[in-house]
Amino acid sequence: MKKNLLQSAMMVLLAALTVNVASAQQPHVYINPGHGGYDSDDRNMVIYPFTQGDSAGSWESKSNLRKGLALREILQNKGYKTSISRVTNTTADDLALSTIVALCNQSGADVFYSIHSNATGTSSVANFPMVFYRGYTGSPQIANADVLAADLEPYLYASTNTVWTSNYQIWGDWSFRPEWGTQGYGVLRGNYAVANLSEGSFHDYIPEAYRLLSFYYCWMEGWNISLGADKYFGRLDQFDKGVVTGNVRDDRIKRLQECAQPFIVYGDDNLMPIHSATVRLLDGSGNEVQRCVTDTLRNGIYVFKYVEPGDYTVEVSEPSHFTQTAAVTVRANEPTYQNFYLKRVRDTPPVVVDYSPVWNEGDPAVKCSEQVALTFNWDMDSVTTCDAFTLDPPVEGTFRWEDSYYRLIFTPTDAFDVNTLYTLTLKRSAEHGGGTPMDEDFVMRFYTQHRNHLEELAVFPYEGAPVHYKTPTVELRVDSMLNTYNLFQRLRVLDNAGNELAWNKRSIKYNKKGDDYGYIRVPLVSNIVPGQDYTLILDVDIADTAGIHLPAERVIPFKGVDAGADKPGMEVIDGFESADGYNCSNNTITASSERLFGSKSMQVAYALASGMDGYQATVTAPGYLESLSHQYASGDTLGIHVWGDMSMNNLYAILWADDEACEKQVALGKIDYHGWRYVEVPVGELPEGDFRFAGFRIDGGEDPMCESGTIRFDNLLKKASSGINEARLANMQVRVAGDYIVVSADTWVQGVELIDVNGRAIKSAGGNCLNVADVEHGVYLVRVHINGRTATHKVAI
Amino acid sequence: MLAALVMPAMSQEVEVTSQRRLLDGVESPAYYPVLNATGDRLLYLTEAGALKCYDLTDNVTQVISHDYVAGHDACWGGDGKVYYVTQQADENHLVYRTGHCYDLATRQSIQVTEPQHGAVRAVSATRGGALKAPGRGYASSADIGSAAWTEQNRVHVTVGGEERVFSPVDCWAGYLWASLSPDGQRVAFFAAGKGIVVIDLRGQILAMLGNYEMPCWYNNDYLVAQNAKDDGHQFTSSQIVLLKADGTWQSELTRPVSMTMQPTCGGGKIVYTTIDGLLYEIRINIYE
Repeated sequence: MKKNLLQSAMMVLLAALTVNVASAQQPHVYINPGHGGYDSDDRNMVIYPFTQGDSAGSWESKSNLRKGLALREILQNKGYKTSISRVTNTTADDLALSTIVALCNQSGADVFYSIHSNATGTSSVANFPMVFYRGYTGSPQIANADVLAADLEPYLYASTNTVWTSNYQIWGDWSFRPEWGTQGYGVLRGNYAVANLSEGSFHDYIPEAYRLLSFYYCWMEGWNISLGADKYFGRLDQFDKGVVTGNVRDDRIKRLQECAQPFIVYGDDNLMPIHSATVRLLDGSGNEVQRCVTDTLRNGIYVFKYVEPGDYTVEVSEPSHFTQTAAVTVRANEPTYQNFYLKRVRDTPPVVVDYSPVWNEGDPAVKCSEQVALTFNWDMDSVTTCDAFTLDPPVEGTFRWEDSYYRLIFTPTDAFDVNTLYTLTLKRSAEHGGGTPMDEDFVMRFYTQHRNHLEELAVFPYEGAPVHYKTPTVELRVDSMLNTYNLFQRLRVLDNAGNELAWNKRSIKYNKKGDDYGYIRVPLVSNIVPGQDYTLILDVDIADTAGIHLPAERVIPFKGVDAGADKPGMEVIDGFESADGYNCSNNTITASSERLFGSKSMQVAYALASGMDGYQATVTAPGYLESLSHQYASGDTLGIHVWGDMSMNNLYAILWADDEACEKQVALGKIDYHGWRYVEVPVGELPEGDFRFAGFRIDGGEDPMCESGTIRFDNLLKKASSGINEARLANMQVRVAGDYIVVSADTWVQGVELIDVNGRAIKSAGGNCLNVADVEHGVYLVRVHINGRTATHKVAI
Repeated sequence: MLAALVMPAMSQEVEVTSQRRLLDGVESPAYYPVLNATGDRLLYLTEAGALKCYDLTDNVTQVISHDYVAGHDACWGGDGKVYYVTQQADENHLVYRTGHCYDLATRQSIQVTEPQHGAVRAVSATRGGALKAPGRGYASSADIGSAAWTEQNRVHVTVGGEERVFSPVDCWAGYLWASLSPDGQRVAFFAAGKGIVVIDLRGQILAMLGNYEMPCWYNNDYLVAQNAKDDGHQFTSSQIVLLKADGTWQSELTRPVSMTMQPTCGGGKIVYTTIDGLLYEIRINIYE
């Protein structure tokens, strides 16, 4: 609405003006080089070789001033009246925004340019010009501010001195910054000149930061702003000089990544700017009209100012490059852009000056994962060099260039074959960047080691493994130290919908120097679901520190389970709520809160001891377990909940009879898992005797993978075999009748034994009766032998 | 909400005794307020781009100009009239500015200078007003009394018909916001990069009051000014400060977060506008 009001007023005035005096008047431009000084709000970009705060480095305040001073000079040469808010770059120059506005208003300027450069302020990188005016986009507060912007931006965007990432943008500041309401940019607020704030480019695009160090580059932005002013004031035809400018780059050598962090480059900014190139402007007779030299600040910019219109030749020379020329036509008040891509002087044929692997007869063999690298004296032509490269026997692989085509890297797709002599030939047809081939073939040989893939020693979950649902741990073990850089990203667990489950990265464990094998052990951050299928994927590029990788990707299905689920028919023998009485030589046995049932489990931190039977650790149960309830008979089933440590040791339950005189080991399987697992096994046929649970044995064999570890136990279970269950054995009944213990059953009773609390048999008899007249009063166990089976029963005499 | 804007209760030497929102529910937003010397009339710029006058005694507003620029640097003349400038552009985008004088009694505005390219500025004088222009300017009478204004890095002082020009401090960017003390004996102005300077009528520096903006005499001994901060793109804070004219004392009148802009004084009142265009009037007691 305001715009309309103002435009209406303008129309009235125009009608009222009796004489058009515009042509007689100097347009007045107020220039505000944004910011000022070398302070925290002056946008210091830290680029090599400058350090943070170095005033010689990249500062928006500095480049803004250079642009502003250039604009002032150019506009004055074009007959404008100018005012400027600062001419030096000090903190005192950093005037308050309201002061700048008031100075502009007081000056009576027609237009106002606040000159800035932009920054994304994020990790994303962009480079394009933007300009702002006060108000909403398309509805400026001061009439024609949008026209001024539209007249400016095409000139900025036409510059080929830089690399733009997208087209220019024009905004009303209220639209661009809606979160500021109508506050807007401070230098536009209250400014009643026709005002723009120009963000000429993005100084956090690193190649642009280097360009903004160039006086020439800044001058050209001033020139382009002046063209915007000329367009706006209808004065494009009122200046009779032009400019020639451009960027001098190598035609193929890549820009060095010299900053602390790698930086993104686009387009021609990938090419190396040429330092100290002499650029001459020659007239039609070959006479030098102007000369300039590119600086050493990694930008390659040159400019010839105020050139008379006409045809010229621009000549660029630099000792390490061939001189190049280009014909240009200069037109009045126009920029002529001419970029150069210089070819290096490569005055000798290319040769291989270094290579790897270096191997001679008798040398140790080369790793099968070794990359082949050839270093040349010149930057090489990629096509002819790669075409000239052969290996015998042939190997599939990929080429990569480093150091701007000076170094060629060949990486085999898989690995070199083991125990193989390879011959690499680079035929003489390989050319350097200037097109000259080698004088002769280059040949080298190398012999490979016996190992070309990473060997998987163990993995959990293994194929088909039941995995307790609670934040399962995944572990991969291989035969050499893994390269741990981003290793966790090369293992993935997918649910049955293909969703990747997240790792608990804070709990990752990696192999370290001195370990016996390489490994990564990492838990998932969340639980999995019992009953659902999952997949563990091991990427093929999991590699050791030598670069030897897995032979192929591994896809391992496994299943979520609840190890603590009900076990119908099973009787709890010991809940391991207390570890009291358990013993394991010098190892530590404690009650642990990491349990599956109740409030505790029994934790054994063990170290295997070497003995006659290899490396073992034995956990012995306390005497109170010698009661009949802890007895197992032939055909019974033993169940135990084990928290495994993936030690790959074998675990056994130990049953003892007759005071250790007879021992039965019940195999509980290999501890090839992490977390809780329920193991249920039949105790099988037991020899004669009352076998009771007496502990566990961890057996590492002769060469254990893990000589120490931590294992936990919870809820030891038993299920008696069919028809045999203590007193229920064949409807067996045991009673004390006077001086006799009488056993009755549905079948033949072979014999009866009396066992004291220490497990000693103190009396026995064939048949179903035992005279106990001479036995002291007390509590005893009666062991009954029926049909080759044994049952026990507690009696009081 | 209002209490949050001004400094609490009383400091050792100045007390904010009252505060109130002006034109609440009538006019918002309103910017660039200018009080007359007696503090009973207020110029301001409306959102719609009109220069208006608000009579604080009878609560009546009247439109002076619909020109958007008119409200930015309008001033009161000592004759009670309003002097202001409008601007328009020609077909080549050159901006022409025209001086006007508005009589509140007749509600009539008259053009007092021809459209001129360049700076045309209204100047307040003790007995009238003037328009300073590149070409022919305007004075409301042959003797407009005393006046002060700035131009580039010069401060102009007119006393008894004599114009004196001073540049008492070095300043590249320029001087701004000249203000004549109520007794007509001193001039305060702002030198960019240096701050507020108080001089006598011979151009002698009496005090440097610090790097504040928009000085306005509260009485013969104190000035009100703005202390604004920005990050180079937008304002980050601003507040009103009370400055003793001899440079020996200063105090904050509003909190920095209140984003007060363009303080103006007259008749013992201080009026300012917030960043979002709310007008406030505060009164203070100064304890010597």
